[in-house]
Amino acid sequence: METSTIQKLENLLLVSVPRDLMDDEVLRLRRQVVREIRKYHSRWVMLDFSAVDICDSFFGRFIQSTADMVGLMGADVIVSGLQDAVVETMIELGMTLENIRAVLDLDDALALSRTVQRTEMYTQGMKALNGHDIDWDNGWDALDMDSLHRDTHAIAEV
Amino acid sequence: MSLTRTLTKTRVAIHNDVDVVVAIQKGRMLAQAHGFSTNEQYITVTAISEVAHNIINYARCGEITLDIVEQGKRCAILIVATDAGPGIPDVQQALKDGYSTGAGLGLGLSGARRLMDEFEIVSEVGKGTTVTMWKWRNDNNNRAKNSRS
Repeated sequence: METSTIQKLENLLLVSVPRDLMDDEVLRLRRQVVREIRKYHSRWVMLDFSAVDICDSFFGRFIQSTADMVGLMGADVIVSGLQDAVVETMIELGMTLENIRAVLDLDDALALSRTVQRTEMYTQGMKALNGHDIDWDNGWDALDMDSLHRDTHAIAEV
Repeated sequence: MSLTRTLTKTRVAIHNDVDVVVAIQKGRMLAQAHGFSTNEQYITVTAISEVAHNIINYARCGEITLDIVEQGKRCAILIVATDAGPGIPDVQQALKDGYSTGAGLGLGLSGARRLMDEFEIVSEVGKGTTVTMWKWRNDNNNRAKNSRS
């Protein structure tokens, strides 16, 4: 039996999905993912499918249910590394996965998670600027303007 | 049209999800050995996985036979999934996308039909279901793909 590996990287949980997963192994993997999210406080779960050559409707259901579960824990699923032939088969099969982002590889997944994190920080900063959450006793000093500017530029570049 | 069955027939009894993986692996090996392209292999094993899961989920047990059929120089992989389960009352409805009484996405049968070149389903309530499907090897671009890998 091939074992799946789960690793933490920044706010990503990297899950390498093994080839030929049996049904009970799929369930075990899903439980493990949910447990590790809590442990590492992960914001993203990246399901790496580069070793997988079958994505049938039961596997599709696994991806969808994992996404729904981790969604309730405040995390999002990113699917990565789907092989060309697997993508073709999934579409022919009629599989549509909702609320799931897909990237080509780990680099893209990291870029996505960092961009989203910056956007979220920027949104929080704007909220504070609009006067909702500012600690007026400390005035503008309470805001880290440098990092806000940096993030604004970073977002503009994306 | 005259089809010749070869002597490669493989039977896999399906009782649990370990058997499903065995059927998938045998199907993959058979397709590989007969020069099917990677895409054709993936499509074939996905269809095997769908019908094998259907056996477990609806009939509990059954059998999958894998075979290579030849017609002149053409070659196809033939998959027959048989069970003595409850049968499907309305086959046309079961072939619709999104229709499911079980745990899948409701794409199993309709998806397998789209993936394969030929697809036939015979079912009788109380007696069981037989799904017969095959995938032709595309010989036009096959050679190039195989020599690369």
